[in-house]
Amino acid sequence: MLLSLPALHLQTSEYHPLFQLPHGRLGPWCSPTGSPAPLSCETGCGEGSWILVCRLLVPTQVSLLSMEEDIDTRKINNSFLRDHSYATEADIISTVEFNHTGELLATGDKGGRVVIFQREQESKNQVHRRGEYNVYSTFQSHEPEFDYLKSLEIEEKINKIRWLPQQNAAYFLLSTNDKTVKLWKVSERDKRPEGYNLKDEEGRLRDPATITTLRVPVLRPMDLMVEATPRRVFANAHTYHINSISVNSDYETYMSADDLRINLWNFEITNQSFNIVDIKPANMEELTEVITAAEFHPHHCNTFVYSSSKGTIRLCDMRASALCDRHTKFFEEPEDPSNRSFFSEIISSISDVKFSHSGRYIMTRDYLTVKVWDLNMENRPIETYQVHDYLRSKLCSLYENDCIFDKFECVWNGSDSVIMTGSYNNFFRMFDRNTKRDVTLEASRENSKPRAILKPRKVCVGGKRRKDEISVDSLDFSKKILHTAWHPSENIIAVAATNNLYIFQDKVN
Amino acid sequence: MEFKLEAHRIVSISLGKIYNSRGQRGGIKLHKNLLVSLVLRSARQVYLSDPCPGLYLAGSPVPPPQPGEPAAGPPAGWGEPPPPAARAAWPEPETPPGAPPARTAGRAVDAEPAAPGAGDTLQGGEAAATAEAEAAWRRAEIRARGGGRGRRGPRRRRGCAPRGPPRPAPPCACPPGGEAGPGALSCAPRPAKDERPVPPPGCPRKRGAAAGDGPADCPAPGSSPLKKPRRHPEEPAGGAAAEEEEMETGNVANLISIFGSSFSGLLRKSPAGGREEAEAEESGPEAAEPGQICCDQPVLRDINPWSTAIVAF
Repeated sequence: MLLSLPALHLQTSEYHPLFQLPHGRLGPWCSPTGSPAPLSCETGCGEGSWILVCRLLVPTQVSLLSMEEDIDTRKINNSFLRDHSYATEADIISTVEFNHTGELLATGDKGGRVVIFQREQESKNQVHRRGEYNVYSTFQSHEPEFDYLKSLEIEEKINKIRWLPQQNAAYFLLSTNDKTVKLWKVSERDKRPEGYNLKDEEGRLRDPATITTLRVPVLRPMDLMVEATPRRVFANAHTYHINSISVNSDYETYMSADDLRINLWNFEITNQSFNIVDIKPANMEELTEVITAAEFHPHHCNTFVYSSSKGTIRLCDMRASALCDRHTKFFEEPEDPSNRSFFSEIISSISDVKFSHSGRYIMTRDYLTVKVWDLNMENRPIETYQVHDYLRSKLCSLYENDCIFDKFECVWNGSDSVIMTGSYNNFFRMFDRNTKRDVTLEASRENSKPRAILKPRKVCVGGKRRKDEISVDSLDFSKKILHTAWHPSENIIAVAATNNLYIFQDKVN
Repeated sequence: MEFKLEAHRIVSISLGKIYNSRGQRGGIKLHKNLLVSLVLRSARQVYLSDPCPGLYLAGSPVPPPQPGEPAAGPPAGWGEPPPPAARAAWPEPETPPGAPPARTAGRAVDAEPAAPGAGDTLQGGEAAATAEAEAAWRRAEIRARGGGRGRRGPRRRRGCAPRGPPRPAPPCACPPGGEAGPGALSCAPRPAKDERPVPPPGCPRKRGAAAGDGPADCPAPGSSPLKKPRRHPEEPAGGAAAEEEEMETGNVANLISIFGSSFSGLLRKSPAGGREEAEAEESGPEAAEPGQICCDQPVLRDINPWSTAIVAF
């Protein structure tokens, strides 16, 4: 019933979603100029200084569209379902996630593609190349769909990717768009059987009459091939747009959250899910808040939190009842009346919530701040960090150009001592919770030469602007860093800036 | 005063966002539109609580009393949560013509007997509260209509006449009570119609039916042809009189009143209010004499384009 559009932005058959690039070859995500910039820092970098490891770039897909489609499809696609401008918009990265060991880094983009990078293995010859990430696999996870009943197009943009912990040789990840969650299996194949009796080497069937002897097929090594197959499709469970997925610590269940409901799934069962939170009012007129993010506790498989557009966080315990509409804990900070404005409600809407690795804290991101909450204290956060408070006076303009609706994410480092989040002008900020120091860095082509140490940036708020500072008015609001990820154990970060993926490493000598 | 202008601007921007959201790829984003509606509500409150209401008057020397409205200045007005008095003033006007507001509302609906549940019916309270605004409104809406005509075009083609009561005949700054018949009520709804989130181009009629706008889908067929001739006599009169700013603010005042109905849920925090609303919603479309219900119900009528969009979505 749902129309499945052809994959418009895959190049040739060798990029078929199932059979991927041979391992090690640079794929479409690499810089057009060649290999990514190598990691190197021979000059002593102090602790806390970051250098660019590699920048991975997605080429624009415009030329592909015009080459592959015939006139009619192009017209239809361009005018109705795909605007020509979507060609480049399809490359915008919409989610970034390291797996549990940090060996793999997955990115999803607006075009429904997932690209997985693998960390370069340490080798004696090229010690300095450790830390680089190369393309491991790329596949089309979601296609644009059309819901005929509601006359709605369903975007193929990947909203979230979450890895499952590795339990065998294959990797599993969940990827979701607005309506459907899919479980993908990414596995390597480095041997293939040769010597079939009924088929020849090209796969053609042999005439049985010509077979005189029987042989046993043997496995022979081949070029490593990484293939991705969809193992489960969890569809038709969400009326509203899915904004989060979270794998439970029991590794058997996961939850998916949309604007008004949260569903609990078992990985093995795709045709039903449990609804565990439902905040849809009986009369939609009374709608005052929506769910914006949700996450399971990292250790307690019965506990999860979800954040709302009103700036509140609710912690729920699934042991208490089947439907967790009544929260166990309710985190809300009283509003500061002196900061009240037309846009107070918008900027208090929480865009991301993350448990610390320890499970003791949660971090929330609203438009201007990042807050750390202790699970045992509900009435206020224990720490509040201003990300870009200089924007507070510009809220009206940001409302006009829709920037005020941007949903920034936030991440913990492996030891929960540093938190990171993005900002505008390709800036991203890190806050050290122990030393209370913070730094602003920029992810940009112009300022990041290979091997160079990232220079801390500063935004000048008013008065005299120093030489290296940038004034608020010259910030580029079209360059925003919404998605970042931190390696689970090392100081390696991945920063997504539109269609570029930057990987930085903290070099400690 | 500056707050009023600011609020006005923000309301215009917000309405534009809601309007544009209907064409977005991927469907209406509930979260974003909810936030926009919150901003709209705040701006509206500032706009209406501003102690300098003269701005949206056109030709009327006496500013309309804002019954029950607190005398708080703008900072307090929008600095605090909506004062209960303001809320009460909104649906329950205490202006002397207690009857005309009801009558107005009644007329509004009577004009469109087949469309009592249309999102465009003004609540009694709102009509009274913005009585003078209507005068400016009639002039202002010419402007809006000019812009809105294009938007309404597609719907006309589909054979669905624009909803809402027909236009008033002569422009007049008098309170609505002075006008004859159903025409007296301003066509305030119309630009709101234009502005409101029209269902995605796929199936507007089905969407309307699904959302309870069924009865509204078949307005009196006579209303459509009536509009065209009426428009002309109004235009010259409108163009001659008010200044542009007054027109626009008068326009916005009524747009606010229309959209005000959309956010009654946000104003009301108690679940009890929700029940009342539910009743109003159910009774609205089926009511034989909606005017009467307007009288009785102190709450805002809830049929509104926003919920249409949400519910259908």
